[in-house]
Amino acid sequence: MQFKKPDAKFKAVDILLLFLTALPFLAAIALKVLFMPAGDGMEITGAFIFFTIKLPVMDLPISEAQVNSWAVVVSVLFLCLYLTHGIRARVTTKRQILAEWAVEKLDNLVKENMGDFFMGFAPFVCAILMLSALSSLSSLLGLFAPTSDLNIAAGWALLVFFLITYYKLKGGPLYYIKGFFEPLPVMLPMNILGEVATPVAMTLRHYGNILSGSVISILLAGALQALTKMVLGKLPGFFGEFPFFQIGIPAVLSVYFDLFSGCLQAFIFVMLTMLFVSTSFPADEYWKRMNKKAKKQKLS
Amino acid sequence: MQTLDIISVNIWQIIISLCNLVILFFIVKKFLYKPVKNLIAEREAATQKIYDEANEARLAAQKDQAEWSAKLSGAQQEADAIIKNAMAKADRRGDTIIKNAQERADGIIRQAKVDAELEQKKAEDGIKREIIDLSAVLTKKMLKREINEEDHKELIDDFLLDIGEML
Repeated sequence: MQFKKPDAKFKAVDILLLFLTALPFLAAIALKVLFMPAGDGMEITGAFIFFTIKLPVMDLPISEAQVNSWAVVVSVLFLCLYLTHGIRARVTTKRQILAEWAVEKLDNLVKENMGDFFMGFAPFVCAILMLSALSSLSSLLGLFAPTSDLNIAAGWALLVFFLITYYKLKGGPLYYIKGFFEPLPVMLPMNILGEVATPVAMTLRHYGNILSGSVISILLAGALQALTKMVLGKLPGFFGEFPFFQIGIPAVLSVYFDLFSGCLQAFIFVMLTMLFVSTSFPADEYWKRMNKKAKKQKLS
Repeated sequence: MQTLDIISVNIWQIIISLCNLVILFFIVKKFLYKPVKNLIAEREAATQKIYDEANEARLAAQKDQAEWSAKLSGAQQEADAIIKNAMAKADRRGDTIIKNAQERADGIIRQAKVDAELEQKKAEDGIKREIIDLSAVLTKKMLKREINEEDHKELIDDFLLDIGEML
């Protein structure tokens, strides 16, 4: 098979997909510009609410965090489409190498941390990693990072909690309940608390880290503004008012809080997910049950 | 500006976020993992095919080699046998030739001996005759008289015989 030069149609689709990958973020920025009243960016508040839907139990406010997380989902969809567009077994393009590298790395990560039984978790791990990292990184574009909204992180942690419980139940319901009375029956409240604490801890860890980053950034920006006023305030006109110290210094911190912390928290969340899910699975008990079932089926 | 509190818990938002993750899981699975995995499987199959073919080719080559080396060693044996035969033949012929030569040499020697004996006898006879002639001359001179050669030949022969016996 020889190398086939991509034709115009292929290239057009490529560019369209790339554009569609960027579009959700552009749309989110546009929404922010259009609907949000201008502020000086110094308030420490939650996400901006576009509108509220009346629903039973609780009203659903459609906030910036929600919109941005949808933007991330759509963006990832088109990113996946772009990465796998026109990949073939023999022709290796850069993006194909990237896609294969990512898939292989994640597979290895899952294999190392969870074992062969959980290989189906690789796409899920990839999904969390991308969603979390891109959500946190969207703050680099001036958007409200969805991960600094408690509800977003809580949703993911809740799903992880369901998975943990699902895999615990694979050892049989009796085994699951028995797990709460170990090592002593007195430990029941502690065990229940520990069970509930897992998703709560995961939520707060993720949400708290990202939020605290932006809070510190805002505090620092405010402090630098005050410092500028104090030092250069006496200068006349423009020189006295422009916050010179805000140039440069927040960018350095942003590298840590937005870029590094965002990726790190995504990675930590993923690692904890893998760890909790794989350790919650009682492999011995599960195979014992499976063997019993297989025997019963043979007998009947 | 209407914003959420910095810590606000909303059930619906949590559920939506959960659903988002699930949806993204399916997206990643279907649009990233499936194509890439298919691709890798396809490539592995292709590679396996190439390996199989190479193995096959190697086995065939090994078979050929074994065959040829067997043939070669057979040829070597054959050559050895031929050389051995030839050498044996040559030995035999050499022996015959030597034997023949020996026989002929013996014949020649024998002939030579016979010839020599004959020659000797001839020479002896010649000498005898000369002696006879000489004795005749001597006797004639000694007796100073005419001697009929014919008459006395017998006498001299006897005499010479006596001498021969004495000798």
